[in-house]
Formats: sequence, structure tokens, C-alpha cells
Amino acid sequence: MKNSPRSPFVRGGLGEFKQIGNYIMSVIDVKNLNKTYKTHRKESGLKGSFKGLFWREAVYKEAVKSVSFSLEEGELVGFLGPNGAGKTTLLKMLSGILYPTSGEVSVLGYTPWERNRDYQRQFAIVMGQKNQLWWDLPPSESFLLNRDIYGVDHTIFQRAIDEMVSLLDLKDLLDIPVRQLSLGQRMKCELVASLLHQPRVLFLDEPTIGLDVISQEKIRSFIKEYNRLKKTTVLLTSHYMQDVEALCKRVLVINHGGIVYDGALSALSERYVDHKVIKIRFDSPQAPAPPDTLSGVVEWDTAHAVLKVPKKEVARTTHQLLSDFSIDDLSVEEVEIEEIIRHIFAEQPDGAGKRIEE
Amino acid sequence: MKNTFTRYFTLYRSFLSHNLKNEMMYRANFAINVGMDIFFMLVNVFFFKILYGNIDTVGGWTFYQTLILVGSVGVIRELAYLTFRKGFLELGEYVRTGNFDVMLTSPVATSAHLAFRHVSLTDSFGEGLMGLVLVGYGFAHLDAATWISIPFYLLMLFNSLAIYYGFCLLVNGLVFWLVKSQELNTVVYYFMNTARYPREIYHGLGKGLFTFLIPSSLIATTPAAILVGRADSGLVLLSLGVAAGFLTLGLLFWNWSIHFYSSASS
Repeated sequence: MKNSPRSPFVRGGLGEFKQIGNYIMSVIDVKNLNKTYKTHRKESGLKGSFKGLFWREAVYKEAVKSVSFSLEEGELVGFLGPNGAGKTTLLKMLSGILYPTSGEVSVLGYTPWERNRDYQRQFAIVMGQKNQLWWDLPPSESFLLNRDIYGVDHTIFQRAIDEMVSLLDLKDLLDIPVRQLSLGQRMKCELVASLLHQPRVLFLDEPTIGLDVISQEKIRSFIKEYNRLKKTTVLLTSHYMQDVEALCKRVLVINHGGIVYDGALSALSERYVDHKVIKIRFDSPQAPAPPDTLSGVVEWDTAHAVLKVPKKEVARTTHQLLSDFSIDDLSVEEVEIEEIIRHIFAEQPDGAGKRIEE
Repeated sequence: MKNTFTRYFTLYRSFLSHNLKNEMMYRANFAINVGMDIFFMLVNVFFFKILYGNIDTVGGWTFYQTLILVGSVGVIRELAYLTFRKGFLELGEYVRTGNFDVMLTSPVATSAHLAFRHVSLTDSFGEGLMGLVLVGYGFAHLDAATWISIPFYLLMLFNSLAIYYGFCLLVNGLVFWLVKSQELNTVVYYFMNTARYPREIYHGLGKGLFTFLIPSSLIATTPAAILVGRADSGLVLLSLGVAAGFLTLGLLFWNWSIHFYSSASS
């Protein structure tokens, strides 16, 4: 029942936190957080492996570099960054799975890696690529086990289940072995299993990865609804722009372990993305080169074309295309998140791992 | 303290019931396991039968007393599978795949969560059953059997289980550096294999080694000695002390070594 001395909060009854003085109610507070991994380089081939038995080169990789930010109660914030940027490492430190190299973190007043049981009862982490459900048993069994692990009261448990099952439309799936469920159905069940103890803080690592559009949409709307109903603070990482656009007002962009942007999502896309992508499939074969009157052509052949058009020009260009060509299919798409991120990262200095010999 | 105990007991029951449901999905595996276990237990008995055809006692233990000793190893193995052993066998897999993460984030001590994660009734069921039969058969043929020794026998079985658990924690804590746990569990396997020899066969340095470093000479000998009426208070106190020591050191080392877990990237 200890609180971190740095915490501006004291613990009140029933797990609630009282506010002291004029502190803003921040739920997550990260200050100057660093994490350096030590790995070993191995030369390729059998000879290299043999050499590695006696002498190894140590490589230090700074996965997270002086990261600071804070989240207020009930915020739903998106974490953007390419693979290997340090998003997952950060979430793992906030969950107490990994110890940082240096820095301070306070979540709900606790230091995560002290793994205080009271903290563990108040947060959850869901990783899209990991499975905590029992493979051969129906999901309802895994829910029961989590009820006992988190010591959730039976009536509260039943209410939470009923609520989430109707939100996610899971009624008919509860008694089917997990291995027979689709990826999307499994992810929904993962979410239910992780939320049974009604966490106040939720970390979601790629919750929609590999899912079809309908399942993505369902999970997205569930997260949004859940956040609205329960005022749960959510920190989410995703590769899908739609996830972040649909859910988060605020984003944190991370690259090479450091935060390069912290602010409104709208400002991010306005600042970095000023165009959309138009894709066309022609009804009949066209000339192998685009006409000079058309600007922004990225790809062009006799059957397809892709255009990159400033947002303000989208309506005009679409109109022009439809009147000038016989078109079978036309779509207007947002620039992919990876591209915005690439754009942002192009401005950032590179921070590759330093090598130190052992 | 009492609350903690009740909580972990409830948790154990919950994990056990889930694992039993899981195991029932694979009935053929169960039958094969039981068959194999009984076969190897019988091989053991024949070995001792041949041995005792030539001599009367080994380290002062008669044939029927030795049956109790060997049977006790089977019973302890089964009890271990029912409470913690399987989790340690799978630890390397959990660490390699990053599934160990869940054990670090849920509000249960990792040492207990790992133990309970895969408690198995069937994995060593044949051995346990056969062990029980051997203990019963040996007990029925003892010259000086007393019923009063049975509860003390059971008590010391659980003490041996504590030694075994502490030993597993100490050895398996190394997994966070090695990532693979197969070799570690080979060590534990040989440790349990030497438990079927009576403690009396060791002398001098060997005795110290198999008491304080690899406490296998106490695991089966102490409970069996109680049942056959050849235990003295010194042996019992030594076993209790070693159990307390291994459990304490095991938990300390385990909780410290967790710091070196570097979760698998996703």
C-alpha cells in the first residue's frame, strides 16, 4: 500500500485518488526515461559462432532516449512510430515488465517496475501479437481464471462480462474453444479478458494488427465507447492511421527512441500532410503516358493510375478525371501513416546504436 | 498472512480446474503417459529385486523399505507436477516467446504464477499411482509398521516438496541469462533421479554435497525413513532446515533474477 514519495496524490478509500493543491490530475507521468539494451554481435557462419564463444562484441542500443510526457485522466492518446522506434519498450516499462536504465515514471502514483499489487490491479496491457487466452478452452474459462487472478467480485465480474459481451457482440462465441475463433474474435476476447478488473489505465499495443476492416472498426468503436463510459486512460500504439484518427485527439510520435512530436493529431496531419491519393482503374486501355493537363501523377499505365493531389484540389481533379476518362473504379485515400512518419523522420537526425568493445 | 494463504489457495484451485479441463481434451496423451510411467517404475522395482537377490540391505535399508523409498520418489514427482514442476519445464518457452510478460503484470507473485500456470494431474500420474502402490505394498510388509507415522510421513512429503521447489527456483532463475531452460531442467531431472538412493550411501564430502548443494539425499529419504521407523530427530530437523534455507534462497534469487528479463519484442 505504498505510494511513491514523488506522487502528488494520496490514496483515499476504494482505490480512488485525491488531489492535493493545484496539481493537474495527471495519471501517467514520465520524466527523462531511458532504456539501453545490451546485445552481442555475432559474426556470421560457424567460424563466427565459434569465435563468439570466447570473444564477443557488445552493442548498446538506446531503445528509449530521454522521453518525457504526461497523460491526464481519461485521455486517449496514440503512440506513432515505425517498427523498432521504441513504442513497445516504452509500454513495457510503463507496465513494469522491463526496468529502465534511468529516469522516473509514475502511473497512478506508483512506480511500475516495483510491481505493486495495487498498481497491477488497476492497469492492463493488451498486446495484439500475444495471446493470453487458453488455446483449447472456450474464452469464458479464461475470463473466470482472470476473475480469480485479479480477485474480482463475482457480481461485478458478471456485470462487466455482460456489458462488454453486448458491446462487442460476443454472445455466441463464449463457449467455443479459442483455437476455433477467428483472429478478430480472439482479439475481442483478449480485450474482454484484460478489462474484467476494470483497469483505470489501459495500454494497447497494436490491438488491430492483422485484422480485417470490419473487425478493426468494431474494436476501434469499442475502445472509444469504453474510454467514454469508464474514463479509462488509454495509451495506444498502432500502424493504422484509421485507428489513431478515429480514436485519438492527441498523438506522441516517437523515432529512434525519442519523442519528436507531442500534440494534436489534427495539427500533425495539417502540418505534414497536405495531399491525398487518388487511385483509378480504367474501363478501357489508355495511352501509355498521362496527358500534360494532369498534374501529380505517381503511376500510370494503360489500365491503372495513381495520383498524389493536394487536399484542396481533390474535388477538382476527381471531376476532371471522371469527365476526361472512362473509369471503372476510383478511390480517394489518405496518405498512409507510414508516409507521414517517414516525412517527419526525414527531418530527424539519425541515432544509430553506438558500439563499444568488451 | 491468512488472507494471502486463502488467496493463493483459491488461485491454485482455479488454475488446477482450468488445467484439468485442458488435459481432458487430450485423452490419448493421458493413456500413453500413464503407461510409460508404470513401465519405468516397474523397471526400477526389478532392478532393486535383482540387487536384493544378492544382498540383504543397501545402506541399512531392506527390500521393502527400499520400495517405500522408491515409491516416495514417484509420489513426490506427482505432487510436484500437481503444484509447480510443469511451469518450470515451460519457463524457457515463456521467456523466449515473451509470454512471461503476463506473469509480470498480473497481481500474483511470479514465483507462484509460474508454478500454478500449468499444474498437471496426468503428466506424472502413472508414476504417482505406482509410487503409492509401492509405498503401500512396502508398508504392509514392514516388521515394525506404526499407523501413527503416516501423518508425519505426509508432512515430510510436503517438506520435500518445498526443498524441490526451492531448488527449481534457484536453478531456473538462470533462465533470464540463458533464455533456454532445457539444460537447466536436465539438471533438475538428474537431481530427482538421485533421490531414490538412501542417504546412507553417501559419506564425507559427498554427503555434504548432496545435502546442502544438491539436497536430493533428503527428498525421499526423510519421509521414507519416518514411515519405516528409522528416522531420528536430527534428520527431520536437518530436512526442515534445508527446506527453509532453499525456499528462502530460491525466492530471493528468483525475485532478483527477474530484473534481467528482457521481454521478447513483438
